[in-house]
Amino acid sequence: MIIHKRDKNSVVVFDIEGELKRSDITDVTLHQLVKGELDAGRRRILLNFEKVPFIDSFGVGEILASYISTHNLGGRLKLARISKKLFLIFQVTMLDRVLDIFDSEDAALQSFLKD
Amino acid sequence: MANRLARLVNIRPGEGAFAALFFLYFFLVTAPFNILKSVRDASYLDDLGARNLPYAYATAVLIGGVVSLHARLQARLSRRVLLLSSLAFFAATSVLFGLLFAWGEPWFGAGFRRWLPLPFYLWVNVFNVVLVTQFWFSVNDVFNPREAKRLIGFFGSGGILGGFAGGVLTWLLAGTLATSGLLFLSGGFLGAGAVVVLLLLREQGRRGETAAGPSAGRLTKIGFGDCSSAVRSDSYLVLLAAVVFVTGLVSTFIDWEAKAIVEGSVAGGARTEFFGVFNAGLLAAAFLFQLVLTSRLIDRFGLRLGLMVTPAFLLLGVGGLALWPVLAAAVLLKGADKALGYSIGQSARELLYIPIPQSLKYKAKAFIDMFVNRLSRAGGALALLLLFLPFRGDASRAWPWVIGLTVVAIGAWAVLNLRLGRAYVNTVKSQLGQTWERGEEVVGHRVDVDLAKLVVDALESRGRSQTLYALHLFDLLRSGRLTPEVGGLLSTGLADAAAPTRNPMWESDEVPWMPDLSDAFPSEVLEKNVREIMALPDYRNLMAGYARRVLSQLDVAAETEKMELAKALGMMGPDAPAVLALEDLLAECSPDVIRYAAASAGELRRREFVVPLVSKLADPRTRDDARLALEKYGGRIVGSLGDFLADERADEGVRREVAAVLARIAGRDAAGELLESLAAGAGALELDLIDALDLVRVRNPDFVFPAAVIEPMILRQAARLRSSAPDGEDIVLFKLLGLLHNHEDVFRAYESYRKGTKDGVAYAVELLDEMLSRELREKILPILERRP
Repeated sequence: MIIHKRDKNSVVVFDIEGELKRSDITDVTLHQLVKGELDAGRRRILLNFEKVPFIDSFGVGEILASYISTHNLGGRLKLARISKKLFLIFQVTMLDRVLDIFDSEDAALQSFLKD
Repeated sequence: MANRLARLVNIRPGEGAFAALFFLYFFLVTAPFNILKSVRDASYLDDLGARNLPYAYATAVLIGGVVSLHARLQARLSRRVLLLSSLAFFAATSVLFGLLFAWGEPWFGAGFRRWLPLPFYLWVNVFNVVLVTQFWFSVNDVFNPREAKRLIGFFGSGGILGGFAGGVLTWLLAGTLATSGLLFLSGGFLGAGAVVVLLLLREQGRRGETAAGPSAGRLTKIGFGDCSSAVRSDSYLVLLAAVVFVTGLVSTFIDWEAKAIVEGSVAGGARTEFFGVFNAGLLAAAFLFQLVLTSRLIDRFGLRLGLMVTPAFLLLGVGGLALWPVLAAAVLLKGADKALGYSIGQSARELLYIPIPQSLKYKAKAFIDMFVNRLSRAGGALALLLLFLPFRGDASRAWPWVIGLTVVAIGAWAVLNLRLGRAYVNTVKSQLGQTWERGEEVVGHRVDVDLAKLVVDALESRGRSQTLYALHLFDLLRSGRLTPEVGGLLSTGLADAAAPTRNPMWESDEVPWMPDLSDAFPSEVLEKNVREIMALPDYRNLMAGYARRVLSQLDVAAETEKMELAKALGMMGPDAPAVLALEDLLAECSPDVIRYAAASAGELRRREFVVPLVSKLADPRTRDDARLALEKYGGRIVGSLGDFLADERADEGVRREVAAVLARIAGRDAAGELLESLAAGAGALELDLIDALDLVRVRNPDFVFPAAVIEPMILRQAARLRSSAPDGEDIVLFKLLGLLHNHEDVFRAYESYRKGTKDGVAYAVELLDEMLSRELREKILPILERRP
């Protein structure tokens, strides 16, 4: 799994590439990356899942930990471009009701402006 | 007087004339038969001696030809013609034999006259086979098992009285009329018999009784081969044939044993009178036995015990004759054989034919009564001849061997009777057809209720929320019910399903997307993933917070979210903190939310949900879901439910539903709670508790319920029925009976009983008769038979 970071409209965007799962763990996890940004004072974070074909419970755990950390600091963490296949997991676990999930990056970025 | 007599012999109003004609018919067949039999035995011993008796017995093999001829006549003639022409034939031939006995020697020589008793012996046997069998055919045609069981004693006593009269007449007239005169007298009896048959047929026509069998009109063609294969094709009939064969063997051995003693003890000229007296005496005993005891004995102890009476007595008699080979012992043994054979043996055997389907009955009866019965005599004759062989014609030396063989044959007879008794009950059951089945079981067997609910809920959820729909899809998937057919059904009209959602993902202008499993991860991967996610501490904390947020919303718009939450909580595992939100969700006003919450509560089975679920039993909109949820708890909440059931202050509707839940839990503890409440006096809930126990019984056929508790209830219910309780309450009695006896059999009887036809009720009562205790039989069966 590779994670690229970029800035867009003052939102930190993490482009995740590859499967987000326990067996593909990298030296620095998604949660650590998010925490790093939070420590740097950033409060708007977008996770782009366009190139993520699979997420396991470990991956979901990373997302939830990132969400909680951000939320607890008064920030916003949103998700975008999750495939329909992956989205079913979020629906079945009701996380689609807890997390902010968008089908496009632009829509997600627009939503930060409304917060 | 007539009424008292009718009551004594169990004749019901309207049956008197018909029963009397059957009585007379049998009387006028057996009276001449007994005269002829005395003449037959005496003439044979006088002219040919006991040593030649096996040849007389062996003539029975010729009876096969008679059976075949009779079957052909049955096929060609109407019953009227068959019965009347048979009586006319035997009347005429009786007179002919009379002439031959008187003038045979001057006309045809001494040799002819000496051997005349042999064809006469055969003719008397043919007489017996044809006329007696025709009588019983007629009884079988007209009466159902219950009527036959009740009236058979009366008809049988007509036959026995006829035999007695024949014996007395032989004794009184043998000295004055001689052989030929007795034969002319027999012809006269048969002529009178023809008149009675005419009256009987007219009475039957007047009553509108039509037999279902071929004898109702022109008989269907049945040959000897048909009859034989009909018996071989049915294990019950094979058993019946075996019993008849062994009965005949025993009777043949006893006949020879008795006649060998008579030959040595009674002088030549006095034998016709002796046989007359003997036959009259034994038939007098048989008559009284038949009239008063046969029906009552069978009614009280059942057919199976009735079948064992004759072998038991004969075993004692053979033992007595072995120890004291004197005339008195021979008379007692032969008397027991005939008296019991004419009364209880014959009656029991006729009852054994009654449950056989009409299509088989005629063939079977013809083959067994006319052929197997006679073949057994020939078999007995052959066995005797083989036993005589080593002793070179000195038959008396074979005596101990004949006694030993008789004992063995009686033993085999008893064993076969036991098996036949069991087979009889099964045959009655098979006549009753399909058993009645409870609605729950019919639905349960034919419909996957859980699947139907899931699919309907999934379809319904498509119009509410994609999340709810996805949850349903996942539920179907993890329960292995998402077959291609179900998937196809759910995808019908999917594109048109507008899914309102607040999720930003769907706030675009694109066509709303509905969850679809066609390109999802493999089910096991998805399921494992979801399970692991739901176990994550972060997930649990988040969902607990989400649950609080959703519950705090009071607006109607939150209904869907509450439904989603209620559904999802059921998948989270009982130890997730969020699941306690189900208590609040069960207290919601929306029946839809409660429906989902109840289902999840049933999945998680936490004690905290029991009371809220029970409270939902009061509301018809949530009752079924609450009941299903409570059922899923199983035996662990039986005690709590028992407390609700016993609480007389609680809502009656709730208590009624609690009983239904306990019934569906169906364990021993649940049955115990129900029984305890019933025994304590359930008042308005009594019928519900009986129904609940019935369901427990259906699902646990091996449970034994205490007769001490159930029997008094049965008797109370029977008393209610006697005092004209509503029709629908009949089933309550059957449900109670089903708690003590084989439930399937009891409800097979109920299915037949509720048809309401005369035969339907009769077969039902007959089956119950075979299974109930004496006290219940006596109290219940008359009520069921007389219910309108």
